[in-house]
Amino acid sequence: MKRISDLEIDEEAVVVKIYAKEPIKGRLLSMGIVKGAKVKIIAHTLARQTWDILSNNTKVALREEEASSIEVKSIYE
Amino acid sequence: MNDEIKVAIVGQPNVGKSSIINALSNAELHVGNFSGVTVEKKEVFLKRDIYDIKMTDLPGIYALNAYTPEEQVAKDFLLNEDYDIILNVVDANTLSRNLIFTMQLLDIHKKTILVLNMVDEIAKKGGSIDKSKIEKLLGIPVILTSAKEKRGVDEIISEIIKLHKIPVAKNKVFYNQKIEQRVEELAKILRKSPHFQSHDVSRFMAIRLLDRDEDAYKMIHDLPIFIEVHNALEKMYKELESEFDEESTTDILANERAAISYNLQMETIDVDEEEGSLSEKLDNFLIHPILGLPIFLFFMWALFQLTFVLGNYPMNIIGAIFSETSSFLADFLPKGIFNSVLTEGILPAVGAIVMFLPNILILFLGLNLLEQTGYMSRAAYLMDGFLKRFGLQGKAFVPLVSGFGCTVPAYMAARTLKNPKDRIITMLVLGFMSCGARLPIYVLLVSAFFANHNPGNVLFLIYISGAFLGLVVAKILRTVLFKGEPEPFVMEMPPYRFPSFKAIGMDLWIKTKMFLKKAGTFIAVAAMAIWFLSSYPVNNKMVQNYNAKIEQTTNIGKKQNLKNELKAKSLEDSYLGSVGKFIQPVFAPLGFDWRLSVAVIAGLSAKEVVVSTLGTLYAMGGASEKSKGLISKIRQNVDFKSAIALIIIIMIYSPCLAAMGTFYAEVPQWAWRIFYTIYPNVVAWLLAFGVYKTLALMGY
Repeated sequence: MKRISDLEIDEEAVVVKIYAKEPIKGRLLSMGIVKGAKVKIIAHTLARQTWDILSNNTKVALREEEASSIEVKSIYE
Repeated sequence: MNDEIKVAIVGQPNVGKSSIINALSNAELHVGNFSGVTVEKKEVFLKRDIYDIKMTDLPGIYALNAYTPEEQVAKDFLLNEDYDIILNVVDANTLSRNLIFTMQLLDIHKKTILVLNMVDEIAKKGGSIDKSKIEKLLGIPVILTSAKEKRGVDEIISEIIKLHKIPVAKNKVFYNQKIEQRVEELAKILRKSPHFQSHDVSRFMAIRLLDRDEDAYKMIHDLPIFIEVHNALEKMYKELESEFDEESTTDILANERAAISYNLQMETIDVDEEEGSLSEKLDNFLIHPILGLPIFLFFMWALFQLTFVLGNYPMNIIGAIFSETSSFLADFLPKGIFNSVLTEGILPAVGAIVMFLPNILILFLGLNLLEQTGYMSRAAYLMDGFLKRFGLQGKAFVPLVSGFGCTVPAYMAARTLKNPKDRIITMLVLGFMSCGARLPIYVLLVSAFFANHNPGNVLFLIYISGAFLGLVVAKILRTVLFKGEPEPFVMEMPPYRFPSFKAIGMDLWIKTKMFLKKAGTFIAVAAMAIWFLSSYPVNNKMVQNYNAKIEQTTNIGKKQNLKNELKAKSLEDSYLGSVGKFIQPVFAPLGFDWRLSVAVIAGLSAKEVVVSTLGTLYAMGGASEKSKGLISKIRQNVDFKSAIALIIIIMIYSPCLAAMGTFYAEVPQWAWRIFYTIYPNVVAWLLAFGVYKTLALMGY
């Protein structure tokens, strides 16, 4: 199972499932990070602790914990 | 009598709501607070034909599932206040995400206008927007605007009036049949209660309940229909969750709204997302894994240089104006108590505070620019990894660094932290960042006791250890007080935008007004109290004795010495002196005499007062930190251990009254206020005592 935190910079993927608990889950949903949404990794910090992802034309910063709570699959599947 | 139309301006953060408000012509802007909370409330008043239009700008809100206190304020307003029209502002660039929230607003079924802002950016990319199709699909009027180019903004007003005259349009947005069926079923039960008689209200409540909205649940909790609603809900949750194979009905509704929004955007906006926009190019540098941090630190360094170097000029001018005015008034007004209160008590104290206004304005201008351009969220992104180790989050960096300038704006800067727990922890440790006003005290003590060392290094060590201590305390607070709480960090990184100078100017003007108001009221009263305590009671006999002695001597130096002695003796006999002697036992274990004790206590009014109080108490008269006499006097009267203990006390104990007042204004909970008032002083004393005893053991 691939998570956002497993992706590399510039890699794209599709959201399969969000394991985060409320209220974080609700926050992700309201920012457009929902099942089926396409995401692209813009950047992460050197230690891969903080992530910057692009989805629906919106950039969202996440921590490693949140990034690893989002399951993704390849855009070709 | 004019017809009043009440409009609620609603939108997600970063959609340009405030620039729309600023672009409205002939509008009158009022700024205040929402009742009971320190969330800024902007109201716009407009007159058009026979209509008085009152628009309330609600805080940015991502969804009705409120998360931050500001979002809760917006939600409470939407659910409970009386208004006629919802003006929903969305960013055309991120339409589908914005529309997820618009769907929730449409559930309310009030008259709604969709304002599609920043259409110029779509046009620039060569894209097109099918306005009438959006109107048809959503069933509400749509206005295309560009606040930047002032396009379409005044159309909003005519649309509001037009909409006001006609009844609310039929709802056009429906969810999946399986959901709608449950909504109708639940609404039917709700209509049994007199509270939800109308079709619209019952439908909205039913959707909110299916969305697992806790506020909606509380609203039905005490009604006779509660059991019936509760049982129906439980059944529906189970059924829907298995039918859609989802964990929660909240997710089902979110997915529904996202799908509808996405399709709507696909059908109505045609734009190529070009790669390598300016925003992307900037981010390649500004959040570069290696370059990002040094660039950010450089910006912060530049901001503080500007704040203190540039702020210094007006600061000196304001200081001069105040001291000239008080000396003029001292001679001009008849001698007496009023004269003394004004020229020795109030004016110098208010002046000492107003002097900081330029610094505060420059700092806020810088912070505003960082926020408006979108760079602030990058800074938070960069700092998050480091601050996380101490239980803080990235955005806390800005208030923490501002704390080195002045704690007052730093408390206000903490507003950028939306999570209440992050905010309270950050505010509780802000005092550890030594503010500019504490510098003179450090300079005085360092020159007295570290003459053989490089004073710059010692000063740097003091500042760094304060900051480090603050981070450690933050970590302790996080583990002890918020044990097991998650530290979520999900934050939008808006595209870089050119700031609106009108909006920034407006914001600075409001800050100035509020600051001056506080300086003129609260601080003036506090200064009066301190002056009174240090001037009374007067021992007339002693004053006469000294005055006679002063008359007799011809030596000018001796005259001055006698005057200083009189001043010191009077102070020792004053109420403040009595207070000092009364509290001296508290500080005795640190080796402080009553003078140091009074200076520490006086420092609570403003840190600048510590040096001037020491000057008076050691009878130097008009001392400044540079005064050689005071330095040697301090060295004679205070031992090394106590001096170190004093530095630690100054570094940690409660900040000045102005800062404490700001904290109280920002934090309404009494429990936190009391904790905040007590704990730094306890920590300061314990640490100072520990170091004092250790130094004693080491033979100092």
